[in-house]
Amino acid sequence: MANATFPFPENLWIMIPEMIIAVMAMTLLLVDLFVAKDKKYLIAYATIASCVLAIVALLNIQSADGLMTFYGYFVYDPFAVFAKILILVATVFTVILSLDFMKDEENVGEYYCLILFAVLGMMLMASSNNFITFYLGLELMALSIYVLVAYQRDVLRSTEAALKYFILGSLSSGMLLYGVTFLYGVTTSFDFNAIGQALASTNASAHIAVMLGMLFVIAGMAFKVSVAPFHMWTPDTYEGAPTPVTAFMSVAPKVAGFVVFMRVLVDAMPAIQHDYTQVLIVLAGLTIIVGNVAAIAQRNIKRMLAYSTVGHVGFVLLGLIAANQEGYTGALMYLTIYLFMNMGVFAIIILMRRDGIQGELIDDFAGLSRVRPGYALAMGLLLFSLAGIPFLAGFWAKLLVIAAVIKAGHLYLGVLAIVFSVVGSFYYLRLIKYMYFDEERVTFNFIENNGMRFSVVVCALAVVVLGLYPDPVIAICKNALVGLI
Amino acid sequence: MIGLSDYLIVAACLFSLGVIGLFLNRRNVITILMCIELILLAVNLNFVAFSHYLNDLAGQIFVFFVLTVAASEVAVGLAILVAFYRTRRSIDVDDINTLQG
Repeated sequence: MANATFPFPENLWIMIPEMIIAVMAMTLLLVDLFVAKDKKYLIAYATIASCVLAIVALLNIQSADGLMTFYGYFVYDPFAVFAKILILVATVFTVILSLDFMKDEENVGEYYCLILFAVLGMMLMASSNNFITFYLGLELMALSIYVLVAYQRDVLRSTEAALKYFILGSLSSGMLLYGVTFLYGVTTSFDFNAIGQALASTNASAHIAVMLGMLFVIAGMAFKVSVAPFHMWTPDTYEGAPTPVTAFMSVAPKVAGFVVFMRVLVDAMPAIQHDYTQVLIVLAGLTIIVGNVAAIAQRNIKRMLAYSTVGHVGFVLLGLIAANQEGYTGALMYLTIYLFMNMGVFAIIILMRRDGIQGELIDDFAGLSRVRPGYALAMGLLLFSLAGIPFLAGFWAKLLVIAAVIKAGHLYLGVLAIVFSVVGSFYYLRLIKYMYFDEERVTFNFIENNGMRFSVVVCALAVVVLGLYPDPVIAICKNALVGLI
Repeated sequence: MIGLSDYLIVAACLFSLGVIGLFLNRRNVITILMCIELILLAVNLNFVAFSHYLNDLAGQIFVFFVLTVAASEVAVGLAILVAFYRTRRSIDVDDINTLQG
């Protein structure tokens, strides 16, 4: 064995997008040392450039039926490509939103490098075909985001949010791994497909170790995508984190988490579909109820959006419960539309920041329509879309997943989702009432630049256009599933 | 003769101790970090036990990854804890209470 040779991994070129991000992250970390303090925006531009470069690479590497490299640990299929593009687009928005917000922080160059490392982790998650790759990607993402949350390290709220997120995030990784040990014990493999085949050849539902493994793996992933009752960290972390980081956390890790969630369910657990569906039904019902009800009581808009995220995550879960092409298409569509809705809303929240105090209370939005009718209109459209008002994008997202889950035979869950989406529209509409019908209570002082305006306009337009012509995007989501099911 | 189930029971006990310690602990955050380590070590014990029992090396390879990641996780955790201590002047669990709603 002393002179055993290892073949060079085949198809290594399918990792080019990851390599671009990894090399850029490390290069920028070094370059940052030589960039003057008032020129740090160059690092931000380089970050955007590397994301765009990675998107271009993704669009140019063709693969219809899924290529693998690193001995099957890393898979490249349309599903992964779709997820990675969503993640990279969310990252570009995040960097644009961070430009002015973070420019007074110390060592802001490292901030952008950490974002790139988090993106690398998420891209690995999206392509993982094995629990080892999945775990490493997950931890790379999580560790980078813990630090990003704590980035304003002189601010108590920021450090406290990071501490809470760190403790609960580590617990969730531990639970996920504990579940993986049992699946490994039964199937002798970490490969998703191999686990799926091994489970199919035994009477897996009767096997207590398989059930334990399934429960712990689902619990671990539920933590990461903030499914109730594992959502406790979400409101605190969202409130304490710097607002651009909150925007980032509310979209990109959710996409990565759900994509790997779907892959695990489809590839590794088809034999126990009946069992995991029961678990997911309970989680989804609870998530939709908790998210939409708890948001009503919030006065802080970041906290409110945290609970709103929890509610939306419940809707995405509906697509996973349906577990067919329709359901998964709906889930992907939901994630796509959610990206634009959330990034737009957070862009406007960041615009409201004044004199170091962040315009974070719902009251701060009173009378916005009189001072800045344009922003108020964009915010109104985005909030209507989040509430699921017909003929805006959010409506189609909700319609697809609810229709899928009802067709799959869970009528009660569909009804519950509809009822609570009506309950949930209350707190979105209340914000619109503040903007349009109340007197202004604070002097507005916007921190704006062309990038911010661009983000707001793009997100608001996306919501309207996708609401009127959803078909092309639905078709893209459907095509993304070709390699998966 | 010590069998596979004995190892699994020990690991399950360690895992439960870690989780219980995480939630019942009212003293300070260092204990929480120790509980997280305990959880990850329980996982490692499970992996090694299964790996030996199944005569498959992959489990032991995963243990190396888990150990490495656990080390960096604690490094990040302690850094965050130091930042928290500088702003709050305390690491009591009861003092992590600014964000509430």
